[in-house]
Amino acid sequence: MRWTGRIRLLFLTPAVAWVLAFTIFPTLYTVYAAFHTVKTETVTTRAEVPRLDASGKPMLKPDGTPRTKTEVTRATVNTWDFVGLGNFGRVFTDPQVREAARVTAIFVVVSVSVEMGLGLLLAFLFNRSIPGRGVLRTIMILPIFATPVAAGYLFFTIFYEAGGPLGWTGIPWLSNPGWALVSIMIVDIWQWTPFCFLVLLAGLQGVPDDLIEAARLETKSSLRIWTGVVLPLMTPVIVIVLLLRLAEAMKVFDVVASLTVGGPGNATQSVSYLAFRTGLRFFDVGYASALALTLLAVVMAIVTLFFKRVRNVYA
Amino acid sequence: MSTPEVTAPVHEAPVDRVKPLGRRSGMADSLWSLVAIAVTILFFFPLYWAISTALRNPADTFTVAGLGIPWLDFEPTLNNFVVELSTPEGWRAMQTSLIVSLSAVALALALGLPAAYALARFRFWSNSDITIWFLSQRVLPPVATLLPFYIVFRSLDMLDSKTALILCNATFILPFVVVILRQTFLDLPVELEEAALVDGASHWGAFLRVALPLAAPAVAATAMIIFAFAWNEFLFSSSLGITETKMMPAHMAGAVDTRGVQFWFMATRALIAMIPPVLLALFAQRYIVRGLTLGAVKG
Amino acid sequence: MAISRALLLSTVLVVLGGPAVAQNTPHVTWHDDGTVTLKSDPEYGMEIKTTKEELGSLFGPGQKPFEGETVTILSLDSGPKGGISGPVYMFRPIWEELTGAKLNIALTPISELYTKTFLDLRNGTGEYDAIIVGAFFYGDLIAGKYILPVDDWKKSGEYPKWDYDVMPPALRAIYTWDNVGYGVLSDADGQILYYRRDLLTDPTHQAAFKTEYGYDMPAPPKTLQQLRDIAKYFNGKNFDSNDPEPDSGAVLHLKVREQGLYHFTTLATSFAMTPGDKLDRTHNVYWFDPVDMKPLINSPGHVKALEFLKELAAYGPPAQVSWSLGEAWDFFLRGKAVFNFSYGDVGALAQDLERSKIRGKLGSAALPASDTYWDMEQKTFVTVKEPRQVGNVTGGSWHGVVSSLGQHPEAAYSLLSLMAIKPSQKFLATIGWDGVDPGYSYQWLEPTGEAKLADYTESALKWDAQDVKEYLDAYHSNYNAPTMLPYMRITGTQEYYDALDSNLSAAMSGSKTPQQALDDTAAAWEQITDRLGRDQQLKNYQAAIGWKGE
Repeated sequence: MRWTGRIRLLFLTPAVAWVLAFTIFPTLYTVYAAFHTVKTETVTTRAEVPRLDASGKPMLKPDGTPRTKTEVTRATVNTWDFVGLGNFGRVFTDPQVREAARVTAIFVVVSVSVEMGLGLLLAFLFNRSIPGRGVLRTIMILPIFATPVAAGYLFFTIFYEAGGPLGWTGIPWLSNPGWALVSIMIVDIWQWTPFCFLVLLAGLQGVPDDLIEAARLETKSSLRIWTGVVLPLMTPVIVIVLLLRLAEAMKVFDVVASLTVGGPGNATQSVSYLAFRTGLRFFDVGYASALALTLLAVVMAIVTLFFKRVRNVYA
Repeated sequence: MSTPEVTAPVHEAPVDRVKPLGRRSGMADSLWSLVAIAVTILFFFPLYWAISTALRNPADTFTVAGLGIPWLDFEPTLNNFVVELSTPEGWRAMQTSLIVSLSAVALALALGLPAAYALARFRFWSNSDITIWFLSQRVLPPVATLLPFYIVFRSLDMLDSKTALILCNATFILPFVVVILRQTFLDLPVELEEAALVDGASHWGAFLRVALPLAAPAVAATAMIIFAFAWNEFLFSSSLGITETKMMPAHMAGAVDTRGVQFWFMATRALIAMIPPVLLALFAQRYIVRGLTLGAVKG
Repeated sequence: MAISRALLLSTVLVVLGGPAVAQNTPHVTWHDDGTVTLKSDPEYGMEIKTTKEELGSLFGPGQKPFEGETVTILSLDSGPKGGISGPVYMFRPIWEELTGAKLNIALTPISELYTKTFLDLRNGTGEYDAIIVGAFFYGDLIAGKYILPVDDWKKSGEYPKWDYDVMPPALRAIYTWDNVGYGVLSDADGQILYYRRDLLTDPTHQAAFKTEYGYDMPAPPKTLQQLRDIAKYFNGKNFDSNDPEPDSGAVLHLKVREQGLYHFTTLATSFAMTPGDKLDRTHNVYWFDPVDMKPLINSPGHVKALEFLKELAAYGPPAQVSWSLGEAWDFFLRGKAVFNFSYGDVGALAQDLERSKIRGKLGSAALPASDTYWDMEQKTFVTVKEPRQVGNVTGGSWHGVVSSLGQHPEAAYSLLSLMAIKPSQKFLATIGWDGVDPGYSYQWLEPTGEAKLADYTESALKWDAQDVKEYLDAYHSNYNAPTMLPYMRITGTQEYYDALDSNLSAAMSGSKTPQQALDDTAAAWEQITDRLGRDQQLKNYQAAIGWKGE
């Protein structure tokens, strides 16, 4: 049931206006930059002027000559050269982008699937009567509050291969390109499964008792109750968590920057990390913008498709 | 038609209600319990390891055998904590983080709650499209927004200000509020608000006095999550600040110096940084799971 | 009654006398004989003596030349007691007292230093008056005209006095550009070889080595090939009595985008660079051809060097592919590897008994050269018995520069130069935690330099005598080697380095062969050069290496 009435604009507009205000310039800037290359030149003029003290009198050096100070005026000139689709062309031909896209894709698919699956399993487990459930639940959500940057560094000590708590496995956690990606995924799963668990548990507990009772009269199989009654009712929650995690995972950056720095080689370089280095280390703003926009387009396509498919359930 | 049966599931929303599905069996129950405990221990291990690392002398970082149990495997020391807690930079970073994160959360809630309600109750040209638009704000990689924000704040002479960071963080966490809480409101039976409207309340009044209190648990939970996001934000606080605006994540990254990562300090800082959000979470714990009744049943 | 009156009286005395008492313990004490004592806050324990003359004519008792100004300096973040940023904190109260100005210290994590610096400079913000930069920033700094030359201030006699002359030529080169001085003396970085003196001079091992390899085990090794043999010999043996695990020949810090790149360039110089008496198209060039800017990085010499590095890494812990400085040094300091070649911090850290088990056993030498190198003129590999020594100034050599966008350049310079005077630098080289490594004439031991052994052995770090002697000798010999690795500091250095770094890491972790990795690097470099403008890059590179034309 949906109301109409002019008052609705009062509710919605502040948030929309806020987001527009803060993102319209960045979006325009990014789009503009994606079609240009920029050269920055700063022109400074420095003049030696007499140095005055607090009362306005010229200051003197110990030998009596007047002191000077350097007055700086600066003007920064950015020259934007239109390059058409040049940056986007680079995006599609750069082998590093292809590599990063592959890394990001694997990372997103595996991490998000595990986080959702594990989160659901945990929600199921914690829905039962187990001793100390409150305490356990509190401990389970702690990783949400750990700063990703620090978590990356901390896991370095856990993945330390010449010793360390996981050294006995003999697995080259960080020195092998394939395993390094696994390590990144492990950290992400550790950090975000609790988030999924939290939201999914609440969704599970929102399923009313009478429906469960009614279903239990029909079948003894808990699996059938799950798949036939509970999961469908939880679909909206699942969709939200999935989409939120998807959007975040596509941008994975902090853990990559601290644990593996994109390595070994480029084995763990996500698209977001590549864009970061391009834009903020090489200051190749045009290319970084094109990369960011391409990522945005891909993700939005996935999200919109997905969202519309479950739209009828989601209403 | 506000009957007790309709209100009950929401008001006394399940806190610790147990709903075993299928046949009950003592064996199965204990098995599941064991699994739950095992998984929890697994997830706690990295934090335990952080504590163990923070209690060690730097030389012991990589040499401790086994599970790094204090006293058993090594001589613990509180020295790292002493050093960290007596560094004024650390306290200032904590203070800045608190101010910025709390303000950003307040701002995001003030803007996002009415919007979430509107998207749940009122008809717009396409509610789901607008929701997706909010969601899409979380998709753009940080690099795309950093430079423009830097330029904007510089021209407003707001570079080293907490205000700039509050505004940025509020913008980043707003989508969570809208997307998650819209679902919460959708889940509340609309009859209660309609009854209020019939009784002469305005839409705003129905929102404030009927819907919001019922959604309070969910709001608390979302606030917890977005606080964590703001608290852990690294890139913008590091790039837009100069001296006044150092926050905890940048302070933690400072544990990496010209000689490499000082893991003992990193662990200590990371643990200290977790205390405020965890305290706040514990405080709101009672509401968190009680509350988020999302998308179960409509009407 | 009497007690309370006494209390009242003493309170009054304290309140009145407080300021007087405070004035007697300033950071700066001017003596009648022209000397000045500078004292840091007690936690740092620094007390150095300079002269009014050395401080420059702007400074004197009661003179506050920059009163009312506020200077902001940007530095990498190691905290108030860490490397590079620590000295700034240490000198702040002294400088504030001398100048009457205020100092704001802005810290940023080391990984963000470049970004923060250029965000500020490229957008014309100018929030920082002084910036601690790495020498490899220079290409971008000079191209944008973002820093001010310091020669005039230095010559004027008004500021604390220091000189480029105390620096070895190779270091001086990276503090200047086109013979104009920009950097103020601070850190000196370079990589030398560290080895376990006790193991290499052990008669049992010497005998066994001779039997296996047919020649006397040299301590230190005179060529890289000898180093490899010794590493191979020791690898897998357990010579470390602290744990039962087998130990390694060499340990390297190969982590990508951290220090892996520097290991390669330092090592590869003697393979890839053709030694000669002058700089021409085929001699003493390492990165690009100085006439057409074509990358030299995949020359046969470079490929051979990378293959050598891979072999050497096989005699070390496999995990080192992902290790940066902290982990690799920790491994070496705990006594689990025979060799490590790295920065000066290792020497200082080895003396700290809390971190190190090898104090008194640390041998140092300049990194030996390869006995085989690629001759670019003859286009063939040449093997010599006694290769020409190659030195390097690899590393950040973090030092302060004055921003051309700041509003207080003179005040900023006064801070940087205060930290650069001889008494300051002498002190900093001895204490170890500050990240400042020795490189200047007064830091070498007599008769080469002016320092006495006691300066080191009696310092807070309490250096072991033999350790510090070899250490200082090694660095001296490294900085004064006949051939030096040219330092890459042209515009776009970050991009070039990144391409090389990731390909090196791919080779070291087995995803690419050395030839493939370096070929890919060369291709990437060509793209970067074209994109940045080949002519401009060529001019920049020629200026950077001091090319005088054919």
